[in-house]
Amino acid sequence: MEIIPGVVINLSMIVSLMVKISMILILILSLVMVRQESLMDRVVNLPTGRSLKIVMWAFFGLTLLTTVIVVLA
Amino acid sequence: MVQLDMPEVFKAGMVKGISDEIKKILGGSVSGSAFGSCIPRPNNLRFESQQDDEIVLLLGRRHFFTNIGWVVAICFAVVVPFFWGEFPFFKALDGNTLVSLTMLWYLGTIFYGLQSFLMWFYNVYIVTNERLVDVDFVGLLSKTVNVCQMSRVEDVNYTQKGFFASMLNYGDVIVQTASEQKTPDSSGELSAFTFESIAYPDRVAALISQLTEETEKSWK
Repeated sequence: MEIIPGVVINLSMIVSLMVKISMILILILSLVMVRQESLMDRVVNLPTGRSLKIVMWAFFGLTLLTTVIVVLA
Repeated sequence: MVQLDMPEVFKAGMVKGISDEIKKILGGSVSGSAFGSCIPRPNNLRFESQQDDEIVLLLGRRHFFTNIGWVVAICFAVVVPFFWGEFPFFKALDGNTLVSLTMLWYLGTIFYGLQSFLMWFYNVYIVTNERLVDVDFVGLLSKTVNVCQMSRVEDVNYTQKGFFASMLNYGDVIVQTASEQKTPDSSGELSAFTFESIAYPDRVAALISQLTEETEKSWK
């Protein structure tokens, strides 16, 4: 489909754009989850809270890395 | 005017005696694991608004089996990308887009799993020597904390419904208090202090009843 002259929009382009937007959304949500975990840990301070914090940061790191790769690709 | 002091048996100096008494009420089979549903005298637990002389007697949360729904959903979600080639929509996508989509799918799955785990892990019920505390997190952005003095507890009931609840011995402990205040988390529940799907509901109810009786006796 050539809506803009010289630019062919196909299904892959549309899906790719939606995937990139969703990746950024998950990145924001993972940051919210990190923050929320630390707030939960403040309300109920359990010994395993520290390990969970590390897991949440690891997930945020993974999401950040993946998002950068996908967005720049 | 009558001075209301904390019952002697619940004071901090009586910790050893309390531990033995709680273990006797709850029975030997109750797990002390950090991921357990019913943890007597949890180590190193502090909660917001805990007073210096307040002793945590019991930490409860929903039975681990109640997580089966999201665990099965995640197991299913993990294998879904292996079958994407069967659908014409995915066949029309180029390789890079398909890889990106798979990455997004797995990130979403991990996010859902972690979020569900956090909701289970931090939605806890705490029984101290002075109060009942019900911590409810609803979603990632809201929380409700209900606190009730032991002296305000009126009735303690428990229910076990369904095959798995009977087999695995978990159920709801409903604590009726003098206050009838409705909180956002109590919609659909009989009381704001409904300990949902907690393990050994009979023993937890017995423990709360005994603590309430002790409180009443010491004030008479």
